[in-house]
Amino acid sequence: MGGEWLILTILSLVPIAVGLFLLILPHLLPAGTGNQVRGITRNVSMGVSLGLFVVSTWAAATSLGKIDWMSIEFGNFALENTPIDLIPYIGVSWHVGADALSLPMIWLTALIVPISMLVEWDAKRGHVFHPLLLLMQGAMVGVFVSLDLFVFYVFWELTLIPMFFLILMWGGDDRRYAAMKFFIYTFTASVVMLVGILVMYFNTGSSIAERSFDLDSILASGSLMSEGLRHLVWLLLLIGFATKMPSVPVHTWLPDAHVQAPTAGSMILAGVMLKMGAYGFLRVAVTAFPESTVVFTSLLLALGMASLVYGALVCMGQTNLKRMVAYSSVSHMGLIFLGIATMQPLGIAGALFMMFAHGIISPLLFAISGAFKHHYHTLEIGSMRGIAHHSPWLSGHMMLGWMASLGLPMMAGFVAEVAVLIAFWMTFGWLVLLPALTLIITAVYYLVSMQRTIFESNDPHQGILPETLHGEPRDITWHENAGMTILGVLTILFGILPFFFWDMMSFWSSELIETTLAVAMESEGVKP
Amino acid sequence: MSSEVSGISPELLLPELIMLAGLVALIIVPNIGDARFRIPLTSLRIPTLFGGTRFEITRDPRIPNRITIATLLASLAAAQLGLLSPGGWSGEVGNVLLVDEFSILMTNIFVSVLFLCAVATTHRIPADPGATAPKPISAQPSSAWVARKTEALYDNRRQVDFHILLLTTGLGMSLMAKSTHLFMLFVCMELASLSSYVLVGFHKESEEGGEAGTKYFIVGSVASAVGIYGMSLLYLWNGDLSISGLSSSWQSMEQLDPLATAGIGMMLVAFGFKVGAAPFHLAIPDAYSGASSIVAGMLATASKAMGFVALLRVMLLVSMPVSGEAFWFFVMAVISVVTMTWGNLAALSSDNPKRVLAYSSVAHAGYMLAAVAAIGSGLADAETKAMIATAILFHLSVLVVFKLGAFLVLSTIETEGDSHRIEGLHGLARRDPLIAGSMFVFMLSLAGVPPFSGFLSKLLMINGIVTASAGTGGASSILSWASSVEPVFWLAVAVVLNSALSLFYYLRIGLVMFFEPHEGTAGLSCNFPLRPFIMLLAVLSMAFGIGPASEFLVDIASDAAGALLP
Repeated sequence: MGGEWLILTILSLVPIAVGLFLLILPHLLPAGTGNQVRGITRNVSMGVSLGLFVVSTWAAATSLGKIDWMSIEFGNFALENTPIDLIPYIGVSWHVGADALSLPMIWLTALIVPISMLVEWDAKRGHVFHPLLLLMQGAMVGVFVSLDLFVFYVFWELTLIPMFFLILMWGGDDRRYAAMKFFIYTFTASVVMLVGILVMYFNTGSSIAERSFDLDSILASGSLMSEGLRHLVWLLLLIGFATKMPSVPVHTWLPDAHVQAPTAGSMILAGVMLKMGAYGFLRVAVTAFPESTVVFTSLLLALGMASLVYGALVCMGQTNLKRMVAYSSVSHMGLIFLGIATMQPLGIAGALFMMFAHGIISPLLFAISGAFKHHYHTLEIGSMRGIAHHSPWLSGHMMLGWMASLGLPMMAGFVAEVAVLIAFWMTFGWLVLLPALTLIITAVYYLVSMQRTIFESNDPHQGILPETLHGEPRDITWHENAGMTILGVLTILFGILPFFFWDMMSFWSSELIETTLAVAMESEGVKP
Repeated sequence: MSSEVSGISPELLLPELIMLAGLVALIIVPNIGDARFRIPLTSLRIPTLFGGTRFEITRDPRIPNRITIATLLASLAAAQLGLLSPGGWSGEVGNVLLVDEFSILMTNIFVSVLFLCAVATTHRIPADPGATAPKPISAQPSSAWVARKTEALYDNRRQVDFHILLLTTGLGMSLMAKSTHLFMLFVCMELASLSSYVLVGFHKESEEGGEAGTKYFIVGSVASAVGIYGMSLLYLWNGDLSISGLSSSWQSMEQLDPLATAGIGMMLVAFGFKVGAAPFHLAIPDAYSGASSIVAGMLATASKAMGFVALLRVMLLVSMPVSGEAFWFFVMAVISVVTMTWGNLAALSSDNPKRVLAYSSVAHAGYMLAAVAAIGSGLADAETKAMIATAILFHLSVLVVFKLGAFLVLSTIETEGDSHRIEGLHGLARRDPLIAGSMFVFMLSLAGVPPFSGFLSKLLMINGIVTASAGTGGASSILSWASSVEPVFWLAVAVVLNSALSLFYYLRIGLVMFFEPHEGTAGLSCNFPLRPFIMLLAVLSMAFGIGPASEFLVDIASDAAGALLP
């Protein structure tokens, strides 16, 4: 088929176009027609989003059958297009492609966005809310598919704007502070990243005509730079990507943004946006500067360990359900740095699977927290107890989600954690005890919060209802339930059968090690 | 083509001739009335049409505006024709005017700015043509009454004056871009400048307006006087003020002539004032905030472009040696860094959106001066020089889109008297989401965020500067690397750091529109012709940043740069 290269272009540009169209159209039409358009906006958004999910599943599945994803070697891409010049003077082109690093992320994005739309199907001012989610989807897919760093950066920044408005317009009481903090933090970090990208760009050639933002030439520029400059650029990129991930010490925007964001915003933020940091780090920083990655392994180790342990400890002290879940994201993202720091195929594959598994589990957790906020009007752990009797579905989902996140076997998170820990042991030996013991802390805070919220109470039939609740307690609505069920089923499915994506991830990781990192380790004199 | 009698081909000056015709119409049409002349000794009265009681239609205050819009539209069409017709228009008119790709591009810039200004002015014309200034209620006029009287006068009475000045500004600028003789260049520039002084002080009844006009006029005329003096020194040295003559004498000069050097230095002061370079920029923030947003937008785009035309002609054509460093390189580099840093720091600490935009305009002048300095460093080869000049011209072109766009948005809140307070922008997103969205786009573009055109123009400049400095250096440690790069490289670093700094105040303006609630609940009184134009500018500021439209514009700028540089 000739049109395959269009798939990724459609996945990234169509939602942006439709989203913008739906946002602008009512303002251009006369009031009556405009309101009619507003009435069907969320249906159109959902339709487009579902359609794109079908397209991306179809692309992944037929490609799994027809194009063997295992044959897409490191540095090669499937569904690639021939670059189309966008700004020939500075070497910018529309160049997209997917490989084992990006395909799971693309599919994840196409999955999480319609589910988050479903969960917040009854959002206020849905004629703005749902198109913004659609914009978000296009921008995030754009980040994952673009093989041109200029376009990559554009999409990277574009994700900020809809999320900023989601937090600002539908957020909690402290939303203005949170939105501003989110925007300034991540924007500043990405400007630092842009400086790094520009330095790479200026090293792709000595005259203007030779320079290009294309991924191949940008990645090759790493070997043309002097060693000091290389480390500098690597650090600039790390600042940009680590802030997005986020890693301690640049994580402080995340709890505020999450607590204030609407449910769908949190789901997308935790599910996909955080992964952009890890994705970009692997795609650009690690691939272009393997030597610097090897040299700075201990920095990665320290950052990852700090995020993991500090995140978990802070979780213990949280009384706000959503804040706890947000810090647990910080903690889990620490595992990704640890996985990369192992320099083992298993460890990197584990980090990749962590990105995917966390991308399914954390939206579930945020959907649950959001449902508490929605139906009980509070997020304080301890202000409501014995909820199981009143909201059996919500409690069931909570149990599943909490168990998945603490790493129960047979669930997606377990696969990733085990892979990272084994690789960690192979590289760092008994140091593995630290992350492994941290998992106990994780179990403690999850179990305690769950027990207090849904079980513990003196009166099993009544429990303690929060003061903020007026009227009868009720269970979650059908659309929340449907979204959570899908995520729960997928969590178990990928826990039992991780092979859909695991195989291509581990193949990609071993090639990454073989072609770049192993060579770098040798030249830096580090034993593999 | 050319008419035998005068030796000029007038069709090359079509945009200017149209403006001239519009000027005449603007003077005549509003004066047409039912005056009659009685032939002596008879009772026969012949209508002379000039004077007397004006007809309903000629009395309409909207007439001057309509004439101006039509004139500028026709002129813009002619200029576009010159730009887009295959091969373009080119040729000399007399010995002092040269029409080529460069001057046609500049004419397009000037005329489109003035056209947008004229469109924005329609907004200010009152619906009731016969409205008069309110009478004072008590003997001691209150400040509210003074404000209302000012508004009424401004809206009602001086439509013709305002539009005549707009057209003379356009005429002066457009001819100035075509001048190849310093004297002609200066005369045209003064025509435009004098008109713009009056435009700045047009709001003379208000305190700020009078102050702005006076300051701008005094500083501007001192700068012009210094420039004229510099020019006379050049004449003393060479005996000829044509740019080609000066250029060849300069290149054959074995040692720097003190007269010539002083002359160029003095002209740098005059042009530095026009482009808003530090330390000659001090009147600019006052002028911008005292003038109406429309005039301020014109100053920030067209007037700045005019200054750059003169600067490029004098610096790059006259005083550029055949090879090696120009004597003004170091001065220009220092001026550029000081200008951009001063502009950005001052903008950061300002609460008045007009002043913020004024200082940002100073900062943008700094970026372009850095690019000029990179050409002056003598390190760049011909291709890189053309690239840098392309970047400057491209930046001047896209400034029309996003800088003027931002001022036009301010002009929509100006009639509420709020354009000088950041509070005026509060809640704009609620009142008119599309205008607020456009303003956000303008701010991002000014800040140089990809994919907007502001990023492309900045990247082109940085690209040229880095190429001129031969790469980003190649030593292994930071210290030895720092000493290994050419000084020009630090200009690129300064531009990048300043752009990062500028993000904060642009974002602040961008965000208050969404963050803060507006005091009133009224919708925005943005009328029909202006609203679509603002949105069009927002679309253009993205289109010129990425994709085929940007390629098209860079091509035009590149042709113009080719025509400009020897």
